[in-house]
Amino acid sequence: MSGKSSREARREERLQVESAGKQEERRKRLLQIGSAAVFLAVVIVAVLIVVNQSESDGGDTSLENVATVRGELRGIPQKGMALGDPSAKVTLAEFGDLQCPVCKGFAEEVIPEVIDSKVRSGEAKIEFRSFTIINEESVPAAAAAIAAGKQGRGWNFVELFYRNQGIEASGYVTDEFLTEVARGAGVPNIAQWNKDRKSTSVRDQVQTETDEAETLGLSGTPSFVITGPNTGGKEVLGTPGSAEGLEEAIEAAS
Amino acid sequence: MIATFVAAFGIGVASYIALEAAGGDAPACIAGSSGCETVANSSYSHLLGVNIAVFGIVGYVLLLATALLRGDGARMAGFGLALAGFGYSVFLTYLELFKIEAICQWCVASAILMTVLFGLNAIRMVGYVGRPA
Repeated sequence: MSGKSSREARREERLQVESAGKQEERRKRLLQIGSAAVFLAVVIVAVLIVVNQSESDGGDTSLENVATVRGELRGIPQKGMALGDPSAKVTLAEFGDLQCPVCKGFAEEVIPEVIDSKVRSGEAKIEFRSFTIINEESVPAAAAAIAAGKQGRGWNFVELFYRNQGIEASGYVTDEFLTEVARGAGVPNIAQWNKDRKSTSVRDQVQTETDEAETLGLSGTPSFVITGPNTGGKEVLGTPGSAEGLEEAIEAAS
Repeated sequence: MIATFVAAFGIGVASYIALEAAGGDAPACIAGSSGCETVANSSYSHLLGVNIAVFGIVGYVLLLATALLRGDGARMAGFGLALAGFGYSVFLTYLELFKIEAICQWCVASAILMTVLFGLNAIRMVGYVGRPA
């Protein structure tokens, strides 16, 4: 009797140990699966990032200064063709023609300084307006910039275009060139950009802005117009010779 | 269970993004930033022609289900789903920061929820898997 019950107890014990062992084995296996999944996920994410990284950064582009423009504008809000804090009290409008060599000089020498001293701080915002005066090629270029602005890359487009500008009216403003600039500017949706730049509303906007420049009596590009609490409406600055001239105008207007 | 609430919250965020996108609008960003518009308009907002937010909704619904179910199956599935969601969120956040260069607060919100869910599901898996419910 006692022998039988002790046998049973031993059997019970053995089964329990076996089942605990099995459970531990199963737990170990499941944890291994979990670790493998984590490892796999890390590898997949790393590959996705590496693939995307090499695809971009204008790696295959012949454009110059892609990184310079990116650095110059990084972290500054953009809405349409306006660069800077949307609530900034002073608005500086630059009327420019993307084909104009003087504008290119301004984009390289003057504008970055104004962006650093006045736009980044939120004192002023700068708007790019089209004033297409060189020839008919200036119109598709301006439209392409506005279309980039619809995706928050208007200023990247303008600044990159200027830095890769060709010889005035030489026929370099082709669809290929514009697309390359758009890619370099980081326009996220190129198909949408293509649709926008060819749309009537964008073409109309180019014309409206050019008309406005003429109404304001502007005679060349780039011309600057400033609006602020102390300007009493739009004040035409013309083409100041230096960044200091624009900075002083911003200070006087605010 | 905290995971239940977090997953339900995630369904809300992803649904909002998907509904706004379906209506042709971008989700409204707080403080008038245009980041959401930029992100929603970017070529990265769709996968195989479907808005990313729809995948988000499906993911959160499945995570909610695993949070409500018991047993090792639910623990492992919850961990796997949360891991996939977390990994994908890391990738999307990378895209926002370095490729699109715009931040959408709704996407950040979803990424944070996914991170919390990954943490909770990892604790649940490591702590309880292979043990009785």
